[in-house]
This record gives sequence, structure tokens and C-alpha cells, in this order.
Amino acid sequence: MRNSYLWLAQLVTGVLIAITLGIHMVWMHLDTILNFLGVELSDPTSWISMIQRSKEVIWVVLYTMLLSFVLYHALYGLRNIIVELTPSSRVKRITTWSIIILGIVAFAWGSCVPLLLLSR
Amino acid sequence: MRQSQPRRKNYLGLVGWVWGGNYKIERYLYTLHRITGLGILLFGVIHLCVTTFFRIQGQDVWESAMALLHNPWFKFGEFLVVLAFAYHSLNGLRLIIQELGFGMGKPTPPVYPYRDSLRKNRSWTMTLVGIAALIALLFLYDFLTGGW
Repeated sequence: MRNSYLWLAQLVTGVLIAITLGIHMVWMHLDTILNFLGVELSDPTSWISMIQRSKEVIWVVLYTMLLSFVLYHALYGLRNIIVELTPSSRVKRITTWSIIILGIVAFAWGSCVPLLLLSR
Repeated sequence: MRQSQPRRKNYLGLVGWVWGGNYKIERYLYTLHRITGLGILLFGVIHLCVTTFFRIQGQDVWESAMALLHNPWFKFGEFLVVLAFAYHSLNGLRLIIQELGFGMGKPTPPVYPYRDSLRKNRSWTMTLVGIAALIALLFLYDFLTGGW
């Protein structure tokens, strides 16, 4: 029962990633097409535009959400693969806990660093 | 040490990714889904490290790192990641729709020649793969015209 809810959560995060990552990819990469549609962008990988984005609430919220969805979706998928390939309850337990800890550390790191560097 | 599951018959492990018996295209879409998933995970880890560690070290390090990442080899690698994104997302949507049982048609009695619902809906599968190819072409055009 619990596994089916975890799986359902993976489907839901999959759809949410398709939306948020779609926004990210179009905004970061499709500059020619966005210019054609009348949106003027400066290089989004430059330091200035990166700092600007990190100060706008909407981008901070979008990226924090994206980070949490991606971490859940990817790490649950990785756990699925490992558990499927090694059918032993000990490996399963170790995998589950290391993946939970890895996910929490990655989320804390990825969301705190930009917030702590806001003054720069 | 307690073993929770009995030894599984028909357990193929990694071999099942390469060849899974009398399965059709969906089997190989599954393998590709896993491989692209692992590739995207690897990219995600690198991306998270690049965007935090270089940022901590300030503007100069960031800009030299970005200059390095703009060379054609990294662009090619990024395009592979875009391919993986396009495939993984659209195949994932197909899996959600089909696994939850939407758009599979009415159940029919198993009369020879058998036509399972996946095979009846193969056109949907091919449409989604086609859309993935279109998205990939869009991004390829943008990369070739000097996009970021």
C-alpha cells in the first residue's frame, strides 16, 4: 500500500517536473525562438542575469519547487532500480536510508546556498 | 540475515534491460526510459554542483566556468541531455496515461489473433515519440543558431 502511494507521488512529481522544467528549458535555451516571438533576453548564463533571477521571488519559488520535485522523482527512481536489481531486504533498507539522507542533504544544499548568497 | 523474498524465478536482472523475451517496442522504450533517467540524474548532480560551487567562488570563477561550458563539446553534451529530457518526459506521460488505464479502449475477449490494448494503441505511442523528436529538432535548431 505504501509503495503504491510512493509510486503515485512519482507520477505526480513527473507531471509537475514536465511543467516547471519546461518553463526552465524554454527560458534558458530557446532564445532564438523567444526573440522571434518578441521576448528580448540577455544571456541567461551571465553572472548579472543569474543574480537578478536569484532575487526575484517567482524564480526562487519555481526553482525551489523544481529542485524538490526532481530530487524526489530521480531518487525514488534510482531506489527502484537498485531495489529491483538486488533482491535482498538488507540492501533495500540501506538503499532507502542512504537515499533519504542524500535527498535531504541535496535539497538543503541546493536551496540554502542561493538564499545565503543573496547579499552578493 | 533474513531474506524477505524467495528466490525469484524468471529473474533476469540487468539482462532483462537488453532482451526481455517476446516483447515488442514497449520493452525497449522501457530500457531507454531507464537509461535516459540515469543520464538525467547524472546531469542533475553535475548541474547542482556547477551552479552552487562556482557561484560561491564569485563572479570571476563563474564567468570563466561559463566560458568553458560554452565550447562546442559541452554544447553537444547538453543537446544529448535535451534529447533525454524530451524522450523521458513524453514517454513518462505515455506511461502515466496507459498505466492508469486511460485511453486503452474497451476490453475485448481474447480471440486469436490476439490484440492486446498496448498494441491497439501503438499509434498513440508513436505520436508521443514523434513529438519528442520535434522538440529535439526545435532545440537542435536553437543550439545551431548559437543559443545558450
